[in-house]
Amino acid sequence: MKRNVKLSFILLLAFSLLLSACSGGGKKEANATTKDGKVIIDFWSFWGSETRRPVIEKIVDDFNKSQDEIEVKHTFVPWGDIWTKNLAAVAAGNPADVIVNDLASVAHRADNQQAEDLSKLISKDLQSNLYPHLWEPVLYKDKPYAVPFTSDTRVLFYNKEAFKEAGLDPEKPPTTWAELEEYAKKLDVKKGKKYDRIGFYPLWGSFGAGSWMSNADGGKGFIEDGKLAVNTPKKAEALEWVQGWNKRIGDKNVQAFEAEFSSGQTNPFVTEKVAMWIDIAGFYTQIRDSGKEMEIGVAPIPEQETGSGHWNEGGGFALEIPKGSKHPKEAAKFIEYMASEQAQKYWALKNYDNVANVKAAESAATEMKDIEKTVYDQALANLKDTKLHTVPLEYPDYKTRLDPQLEAAIIGKMSAKEALEKAEKDIEELKK
Amino acid sequence: MIKAESDLKFHQTKSFQERTKKTITLAFLLLGSILLLMPLWWMISTSLKSPEEIMQHPPTFIPESFRFSNYIEAWQTGPFARWGLNTLFIAIVTTIGSVLVNSYVAYGFAKIHFKGRNTLFVIVLATMLIPSFVTLVPQYMLFSKLGWVNTYLPLIIPAFAGSAFYIFLLRQFMMTIPDEYIEAARMDGASHLRIWWHIMLPLTKPALITVALFSFNAAWNDLLSPLLYLNDENLYTLQLGLQTFKGSVQVQWHYLMSMSVMILLPTVILFFFFQRYFMEGTNVSSGTKG
Repeated sequence: MKRNVKLSFILLLAFSLLLSACSGGGKKEANATTKDGKVIIDFWSFWGSETRRPVIEKIVDDFNKSQDEIEVKHTFVPWGDIWTKNLAAVAAGNPADVIVNDLASVAHRADNQQAEDLSKLISKDLQSNLYPHLWEPVLYKDKPYAVPFTSDTRVLFYNKEAFKEAGLDPEKPPTTWAELEEYAKKLDVKKGKKYDRIGFYPLWGSFGAGSWMSNADGGKGFIEDGKLAVNTPKKAEALEWVQGWNKRIGDKNVQAFEAEFSSGQTNPFVTEKVAMWIDIAGFYTQIRDSGKEMEIGVAPIPEQETGSGHWNEGGGFALEIPKGSKHPKEAAKFIEYMASEQAQKYWALKNYDNVANVKAAESAATEMKDIEKTVYDQALANLKDTKLHTVPLEYPDYKTRLDPQLEAAIIGKMSAKEALEKAEKDIEELKK
Repeated sequence: MIKAESDLKFHQTKSFQERTKKTITLAFLLLGSILLLMPLWWMISTSLKSPEEIMQHPPTFIPESFRFSNYIEAWQTGPFARWGLNTLFIAIVTTIGSVLVNSYVAYGFAKIHFKGRNTLFVIVLATMLIPSFVTLVPQYMLFSKLGWVNTYLPLIIPAFAGSAFYIFLLRQFMMTIPDEYIEAARMDGASHLRIWWHIMLPLTKPALITVALFSFNAAWNDLLSPLLYLNDENLYTLQLGLQTFKGSVQVQWHYLMSMSVMILLPTVILFFFFQRYFMEGTNVSSGTKG
């Protein structure tokens, strides 16, 4: 019996020792100030890679040195998961003080009380320094709930060598859908029924069926000002046009190509299996890092017909103060610094992102050269046609209803009209 | 007249038929293992390629030149030694916890007769039906109220609270141990704690090692819990460290794969050493050999 008591005692002791050992480190963080009385701001971002981390840490460091009241502590949290973590932390009431979040869904979080109202925390003239089309998405009931940091826009990349081979002028990229199709046919390289190179396929890269539909429809999204604009004649036309590509190239060939490149390790444009490709400007770094001497050109997104507009789509990231932050005032100061010309220009030069600060974006362009500058300039020029479709408050999950119908239409299971009718009906049911 | 064995043509002989059968079986097994090993080979081969070669098309099966420097470079991109020690600590403590606690609970379910035992056991098993993401936010809030966020407690304490799957596994194994052992020990005046420690633990070694391997592996590879609960990069684990190679735009495949190979190694080695027990332990219908 005695030994039993001893044994349980030892186990208990070991357990409690463990408890105290494990809880040792963390606790002091909560209301933390540094030894010299600075307020510590917790800043979460997903920029942890070898290329991005030094850039963001330099910006944080510059800020920390610039004043003596606040110390920003940057923590890398993995891409995608960072927002799961943020939601849990907001729900529990101990979030970070500043977080990098998705620009398109700011209003949605404001509506759900997951972000702080910044109207009284940031200076009034901050807005005038930033691109208006990026400021709009951060507003909820006319008050800002985030500050845009970076954005992106799509660029048509094309392989100049392939253009020459096909007898096309490498300085004249396609400007309309008809031209795009005509060029694509010339750029195709077929071996029997199979393709050795596909000139272009509209759904590859980062411009989906939805983007083409909005491109045709004067830049209109699927939900505009709370009203559905899913089943419109222009959108149906665009979807039919996409279906046409599938018919011409053949579902099997499309799928074979997709399967071949599904790992994401290799890109078909970089390996010259596809001659034209729409992607964000930062895609250029993939071409650069492939070590290939590839001659590329860039162009705006082709318009449906001459004069209908080179409508483009963009996304972006914003800086937010999660609801429940302990130091919103200090956090706002850091956010203002992040939106300043100095910080934004540094980011643009290092990462080729479109930054939110107008002056920073323009002065970064003057410091670049060669192809890098060409790509960056094109991205800047495309901003005027770029729409940022925010997540609509009334239909936050509309994509889950839209995408299956679009997919069905693309593989030819139903006509474009039917698909859009069904999608509109399904989305209507979602209304909050 | 009965044909003599020697009259049979060669392909009709028993030994030939058996050999063909064996060859076919072996061929299938070989094919199966090659299929299963392909992803592993792909991981190793990618880990040794240069970024340019990874982007090549068609992809190369064997790297053109073996870049072992990927391993060193990947290791140096972050404090991986620190993260490795953190992970090891968490994995070892949770392993000890889940082996001890689950086997003690399983002992109760397997060998002690009390009222409502079966109902209770069903309730324990039913917890396996609850998807973990349903309890995610409530659990986070609970641990946050306790002030455990940014400590290892939320990662370790749940292991000490038992897990239905391990309890089930161990209980089934313990059921096969004859009651006579326990009765004899009871007769000699041993308590339950003592019977568990001196009789059950040694007799269920294969199952315990299985549970240990499972829980070590689970803790070693866990991404979600460390992600949610740890806010300080110094406390991060290897799986979180791996995520630094995956960006929103680009993935550094060569580093991701070489680091993944390194992280995989300890679990492979562990399994290699304990596989004999592992086979016995997962076979819940096997009897004792004592």
